[in-house]
Amino acid sequence: MTAQLTPLLTLLLASIGLGAGTFGALAGVGGGIIITPLLVMYFGLPMHQAIGVSLIAVIATSSATASVNVQNHIADVRLGMTLELATSFGALVAAVIAGYINRRTLALLFIAFLLYTAFSMARKAWTSRAVPHQADIPAYEVQNYKLGMSASLVAGGFSGLLGIGGGPIKVPVMLLFMKVPLRVATATSNLTIGVTAATSAFIYYGRGDFSLVHAAPLVVGVFLGSQVGARLAPRVRSLYILLLLVVVTVWLAIQMIYKFTTGAIG
Amino acid sequence: MRASARTDKFVGLTLKAGAYGSFALLVVGLVATPFTPAGMTLLKLGIILLMITPVLRIIVAGWMFALEHQYRYALVSLGVLAIMATAYVLSVVH
Repeated sequence: MTAQLTPLLTLLLASIGLGAGTFGALAGVGGGIIITPLLVMYFGLPMHQAIGVSLIAVIATSSATASVNVQNHIADVRLGMTLELATSFGALVAAVIAGYINRRTLALLFIAFLLYTAFSMARKAWTSRAVPHQADIPAYEVQNYKLGMSASLVAGGFSGLLGIGGGPIKVPVMLLFMKVPLRVATATSNLTIGVTAATSAFIYYGRGDFSLVHAAPLVVGVFLGSQVGARLAPRVRSLYILLLLVVVTVWLAIQMIYKFTTGAIG
Repeated sequence: MRASARTDKFVGLTLKAGAYGSFALLVVGLVATPFTPAGMTLLKLGIILLMITPVLRIIVAGWMFALEHQYRYALVSLGVLAIMATAYVLSVVH
């Protein structure tokens, strides 16, 4: 089934991309967590295709936000490159495995990850409620590469399996165990998800788990959204963004669970 | 230690060029699609440019690391590139 690129479809998908891109830039997530369930539930895409499209959107978020974060010396290119060794390997293996996993299992895994993300964002919101915005980046020495690489391998695996960036796994590990400041951790995670998502995107694209008609308008929206998000970021408290993201992910999880039990998705 | 300001600059520029390039291709493609079949080709090109931008970014970073005698990181970049190349080859074979 190939959908037609109607003006309505284009506009709808571009708006979703705009929202996901804005969120992505503001909260440091790739947007895949929002895009995949919407494509599955409301655009009738099979799980695998939705993931393939979502991966493309994740690359767009990464390129758009990372270009700025790298040039402003916030993202750590060396650290990112090291972690990418693990994330891309995990993504490669998982993307191949995903081809052998049935749709319903994949949908179930996705629901679990949605709930984990909601929990992780809620916790981040709770800890960040009193923390003022860090204008300067404190000096840091990256520690515990072993744990960082292991977490990156897992994050890459989830990325290749579910079409997400994996920020909710990498950022806390960088922050808590590798002693990287939050802004650097978020920006570096955003840099790495492009490489991670591109690695699995090759596999999905080659397998035919992709839809150009859906991806093109989404990506345009994501690019615009990242610009909006970057401009809003200094003015909006991250607490509210995180809380909004919690609401959105919980709502998507409930919808997914309902549609899963009625057999409407998969 | 972090990468040099020069490395950051070129890596950032690569990402920016890829992002703006694919954005332009996609916007023109979306507008053109109802009128000409060439629109779909532009959309495909836009998506392909988007997908190879991270690869180009790795090559640029690796090159800069090598130029600045940070061979360890040049090697790491080469490793990432090898994994991405494997993914590409697997996708073509499939």
